[in-house]
Amino acid sequence: MSKPIIVVRNLNKTFPGPDNKIEISAVKDVNVEIFQGEVVVVRGPSGAGKSTFLRCLNGLENFDSGSVVIDNTPLDHHHKNRLEIRKEVGMVFQSFNLFPHMTVRKNISLAISRVRKKSKEECEITTLDLLEKVGITDKIDSYPSQLSGGQQQRVAIARALAMNPKIMLFDEATSALDPEMISEVLDVMKALAKEGMTMVVVTHEMGFAREAGTRLLFMDNGEIVEDREVRDFFENPIEDRSKAFLSKVL
Amino acid sequence: MRRHNYLLDGIVLSILILVVFLGFIRIKNGFQYSWNWGAIPRFFFRLDESGRIKTNILMQGFLTTVRLSFWSSGAALLIGTLMGILRTRKNLFPRLVGRTYIEIARNTPPLVLIFIFYFFIGNIITSSLGIDEWSRNLSGVGKTVLTIMFSKPERFPAFLSALFTLAVYEGAYVAEIVRGGLESVEAGQFEASYALGFSRFDKYRYIILPQVFRKVLPSLTGQAISTIKDSSIVSIISIRELTFQGMELMASTYLVFEIWITITIMYFILTISLSALASYLERRMIKY
Repeated sequence: MSKPIIVVRNLNKTFPGPDNKIEISAVKDVNVEIFQGEVVVVRGPSGAGKSTFLRCLNGLENFDSGSVVIDNTPLDHHHKNRLEIRKEVGMVFQSFNLFPHMTVRKNISLAISRVRKKSKEECEITTLDLLEKVGITDKIDSYPSQLSGGQQQRVAIARALAMNPKIMLFDEATSALDPEMISEVLDVMKALAKEGMTMVVVTHEMGFAREAGTRLLFMDNGEIVEDREVRDFFENPIEDRSKAFLSKVL
Repeated sequence: MRRHNYLLDGIVLSILILVVFLGFIRIKNGFQYSWNWGAIPRFFFRLDESGRIKTNILMQGFLTTVRLSFWSSGAALLIGTLMGILRTRKNLFPRLVGRTYIEIARNTPPLVLIFIFYFFIGNIITSSLGIDEWSRNLSGVGKTVLTIMFSKPERFPAFLSALFTLAVYEGAYVAEIVRGGLESVEAGQFEASYALGFSRFDKYRYIILPQVFRKVLPSLTGQAISTIKDSSIVSIISIRELTFQGMELMASTYLVFEIWITITIMYFILTISLSALASYLERRMIKY
């Protein structure tokens, strides 16, 4: 196989606990390599460190030790490297985090014009393309508060895609949505996966994992306890913890 | 819904009007003062030798107050925004700078600040930077512009220290208002701007500050009104603003009550129109 696009070595992250005395391990000695075009689904009980692990991949969370290398760029304290990674890694949040004072159009085009420094015409074309992709062209001049949760999250995906990233991170993108809106967001994510986007997806959606995932990481207590092909995982989970977890959710 | 009892309101209001009226009569009988309101209008505008209308002492003071308040509010907004941002940064150094500025400026009497800045800026900085000379040697057009926008060239250095003092003093309050606004912006907004690769400047310029200003507009209006009112203290360094001009006038005309009342009304007109402008802006802002 070709060179991995994400290389994580001995990643450790702790949070100060109560009284600032005890340190709570969120990510413990994680090693993982992710290749171009993989759709990696990260699962596990809450508090397992899934989100923290994901946030370490674009530097939203500073890790204590270890290394993260994205497409040959090390994620370190150098501003240039960090910026490079921020541009190449798109992120979708649980709570959407759309800019509430901007229209959908502006939400999507702002980064293209300010970060990618594209011309006005290019911004307009890209914005329309992306809205078509996520299926909400009619809401282009609406404000986020006028949209449903599912629509907001689709705009948020379009906004992240506007940067034309090589990797997309999804942090429980459907967890804040009403059940009837989950599928419209998952459909967009599945389409993205089909196009060959490299994705790391923290989710509890088993349907998505089964249908679009290529690989499955199971995290517990900050550690990756299973790292396997998706199909294989559903057929015969090995670890006791993931077995117990699966029997609860399936 | 409970019906509103207008009868009770009416009774209370009538009693209040009666009390004020009786009080007014009592004061009028016991108060020996010959009112002379007729003398006031000519202190606003006068006719010069050739018959043209010129602004007179009170109007000039009023305009100086407007200019001074305008520029110092603007500068206070700039300083306050910057310091408010520094105050919320994660790193120690910017936090230290912001905090030090706010604590010093807020915990010093403005009158003391005025003197410090007047003697320090007025005497040392303006002359060493050549602002004195520069303002005196301006060409005709430059002089006119300076006079209209700020003050007469010969008074410019003093005007500058007044402006600076007010800006620094009010800026500390603006900084705290902005800090409150910044802290009320969701962490997700900062995270999304980070993830999208915005520069620090763009993040504040396009994403964070527009949300902050919308939230803190009412408090900022209050601060701007404070600036207008506080601007009266610069009369102490002979800036010819409204209060100073009024006091000069009182010294020569002895129309103490008429002039104080007039000045009060003029300040009131200024502040009330600012409030009106702010509530207009608030209503006009797009809802989201």
